[in-house]
Amino acid sequence: MKTLQATSVIGDARLLAGLDQGRLDRQAHLWTHGAQPELTRAAYSELCEAVGLKGRGGAAFPVARKLASLPERGIEAVVVNGSESEPISRKDRMLLTLSPHLVLDGATGLAHALGAPHVLIAVHDAEAAMSVREAILERGDRLAIEVTETPGRFVAGEARAVLSALEGGPAVPPGRKVLPTQQGYHRRPTFLSNVETFAQLAVLARMGSRRFATTGVSAEPGTQLLTVAGAVQRPGVIETPIGVPLDTVLRYTGADPGPVLLGGYHGRWLPEASQQPLQGTGIVLALGADTCPLGEVHRVAQWLASQSAGQCGPCVFGLAGLADDFGRIVRGDTSGWYDAQRHLGLVPGRGACAHPDGAARFLASALEVFDDDLRRHLGENRGCGRPVHGVLEVSHG
Amino acid sequence: MARLEIDWTRCDGHGLCATLLGGDVALDEWGFPVLKGREITAGELPDARRAVLACPALALRLDKSVKGY
Repeated sequence: MKTLQATSVIGDARLLAGLDQGRLDRQAHLWTHGAQPELTRAAYSELCEAVGLKGRGGAAFPVARKLASLPERGIEAVVVNGSESEPISRKDRMLLTLSPHLVLDGATGLAHALGAPHVLIAVHDAEAAMSVREAILERGDRLAIEVTETPGRFVAGEARAVLSALEGGPAVPPGRKVLPTQQGYHRRPTFLSNVETFAQLAVLARMGSRRFATTGVSAEPGTQLLTVAGAVQRPGVIETPIGVPLDTVLRYTGADPGPVLLGGYHGRWLPEASQQPLQGTGIVLALGADTCPLGEVHRVAQWLASQSAGQCGPCVFGLAGLADDFGRIVRGDTSGWYDAQRHLGLVPGRGACAHPDGAARFLASALEVFDDDLRRHLGENRGCGRPVHGVLEVSHG
Repeated sequence: MARLEIDWTRCDGHGLCATLLGGDVALDEWGFPVLKGREITAGELPDARRAVLACPALALRLDKSVKGY
């Protein structure tokens, strides 16, 4: 697997500031960003509310609402979810590897404000884990900070699966729908969010809401990290203002024309580049025009089925069924299409986590967007005449 | 006011719920329950409770508040 460490910026560099010199140690971090101000819980709530900060792990849950749902006292831990189990995404491990102090500032700053005695960092990537451990040794935080390496399966990155892994249990989501803010780490109130969210909090605490809001869109100001991958000349992690047009990102990274996937393997397809503003998505993948789109999607369908934790029947049988359906579609068997339509209705909302829902969304959107290819595969030629190049990576991250 | 809920990590597709609560639960092609998702009224509660108790995997539940991120 290639590690994408190329970083670039459209507009202001905030999270990626100073990284043109490589990894920021404590001194370089302080030189670039300055010291983390000590803020109260009320100040964090106000700041997050003012700029409408949303969690950057994919669900885009408002951080202010998450803070508000925590009890007044007795908060056990602040958890940094760096498991980044989506196979295309690289932004979180990049932050942890190159700017670990920014993430730690965000997490420890909030932990002090909330009175939480523990900061737990769940990481999957070995290099990122090493960088964070090194960074912790450089700091004098009066907190228990722990780094735990978590397994790489897709569903192991789900918030409650991460909590279970941190407690020493299996990295699978529990069957009961409980909120980490009520029953999190060891069933105690916990603030858990994605790596980038904490880096944004560190930036927000320093800038204040007014300066923070000088870029991005009015409803959601600020910057975002995107992992750009696929048929592009300059793949990597890029920081842009929120709401940057998709076109701009694709041109900037030298993407081939063709369909575009937004949001990774739980995301949605677009037939081609457009002016669409990018907001709430962390992944942009250009497919290019040389590969067979349905063949690519079939490989991902098989991978998505293999990533089920095996706990929930509709996910196990439904995703396996869909992988088989897509295989038949690619080979020109119309029954595959009919079965896929039925199975796509049977999978969403029927699991302990959102894996079946996300997988179904990705596959349904492929059938919608690759309409012409579908006709070529199910027509006389039984194919589109293009080989499957493997632009959509499915190796285990 | 209550709603049926399934703990999917426990459900093994025994199918008793579909027999006992035919109006609220159907079975899919693999034998797993498909909930109609409507509110269980006060009058239907006893039947619903009986089905919950009958589930061999303890997967069927009556939930008064369903939350989630």
